[in-house]
Amino acid sequence: MSQTASSIDTQPAIQLRGVSRRFADPGGRTVGLQPTSLIVPRGEIHGIIGFSGAGKSTLLRIVNLLERPDAGEVIVHGQDLTRLSAAGLRQARHRIGMIFQHFNLLHNLTVADNVALPMRIAGERPARIAERVKICLDFVGLAEKADVYPGRLSGGQKQRVAIARALAPEPHVLLADEPTSALDPRTTLDLLGVLADANRQFGVSILLVSHEMEVIRRLCHRVSVMEGGRIVEQLDMADGRIPEGSRLASWLSDFGAGPAASPSPSGRPDAGSGHHLALEAAHA
Amino acid sequence: MPETTSLFDTLNELLPEILKATGETLLMMAICLSAAIVIGGALGLLVFLTSRGQSLERFRAFNLVANGVINVVRSFPFIILLVAISPFTRVIAGTSIGPLAASVPLSIAAIFYFARLIEQTLRDVPRGVIEAAEAMGASPLQIVRHVLLVEARSGLVLAVTVLAVSFLSYSAVAGVVGGGGIGDLAIRYGYYRFQTDVMLITIVLLVVLVQSIQFLGQWAARHVDKR
Repeated sequence: MSQTASSIDTQPAIQLRGVSRRFADPGGRTVGLQPTSLIVPRGEIHGIIGFSGAGKSTLLRIVNLLERPDAGEVIVHGQDLTRLSAAGLRQARHRIGMIFQHFNLLHNLTVADNVALPMRIAGERPARIAERVKICLDFVGLAEKADVYPGRLSGGQKQRVAIARALAPEPHVLLADEPTSALDPRTTLDLLGVLADANRQFGVSILLVSHEMEVIRRLCHRVSVMEGGRIVEQLDMADGRIPEGSRLASWLSDFGAGPAASPSPSGRPDAGSGHHLALEAAHA
Repeated sequence: MPETTSLFDTLNELLPEILKATGETLLMMAICLSAAIVIGGALGLLVFLTSRGQSLERFRAFNLVANGVINVVRSFPFIILLVAISPFTRVIAGTSIGPLAASVPLSIAAIFYFARLIEQTLRDVPRGVIEAAEAMGASPLQIVRHVLLVEARSGLVLAVTVLAVSFLSYSAVAGVVGGGGIGDLAIRYGYYRFQTDVMLITIVLLVVLVQSIQFLGQWAARHVDKR
């Protein structure tokens, strides 16, 4: 038993092996995911960037099986989710947090009840729930909003609540699907800080999909570039620089973003730097 | 003011009848609303959960059958349903006359009416919120309890309100075949005996009931809506 535990400890947070998914888009074209593999080591913040339709959201949603792959293995924290029973999968999902572009909070629950929800679903003890709710709301800086309904919060505050909700059950992995795309640049920057803190403080691995280069550049340790349903490039982003000669760098210069390798000088995402370029907007 | 006096006299004279009729109407309403909320609510919930993209989508066969049955029952004009199922009514209630007997067709119509209302109300819950609960590892039953019934609750209250108002009027129709209640009173005195004053009293009574139900329903819906 202890041997199993130690082998799990050395496992990557997320390991996708040859996952693929085919489906027809509303226009009837076949889109989806080519057989794709991805390893996210423990503690890493991994970004996925690409144009719309490149399959990045599909890839993300495969990690907690919101989207079931046609083939391949989905190993999260040492466990192949595709082999689990329905009940086993629900159990595994208790330790995989997720946040969304449109927050997806329950509007008829208070902030505290929203944060408590995943733990109630997991059947945690009320005392434990109350304790975690307090810790997580403190962490995102919204302790004083505990009894407020989400309808009275700003977009940035709603996403903070969503982050607190995702962190409450102490997940191994946090999946983030365009978490800042509905927010303005300053709020985006604040939220990236919260996500980076969550990674540092709680050791949670993060897999994040975004079409905003600035988000990837500021937050991620590594990035996978997706095109046509496959990962075409993986880059180390630890120093916040995009390697010259990479496909990503050439995309950015193609879209008039200027020299791709220089971080925005003022350190602000809205400072007119090409890195803030929204790939999807440029594509359209 | 002889007319006022005569209306007052009629009221006074018929008071026991009016009270009895009101009691019968409330009895029919209580039975058919309970049946609709329990059985129709469950049916509507199942139809919603088995529809495309929801958590019990694998039971789509149920969805297709249930949808068909709901549509068929809802196509019957109520008065036809009332007569058509009278043999069944006799089996259940032992008679086809009186408020208890009338409650049988009322309940059947209400069950399918409410099932459709509930299914449509639940569709207003954003898909993303349900998906968030799935990502948390919620079971279909937990999604119902922790998400659907919470997020749709003001719509559900309004659905009950619409149901109550509709079936107050349906219960009056049941009066035609001796179902009792306020509608029965209107037909026996107001229509067959040309007693316009009785007709007036019953209409005022029905208007007051509808207004109260509507007011109460809207107040409750507003009260539980935090969106």
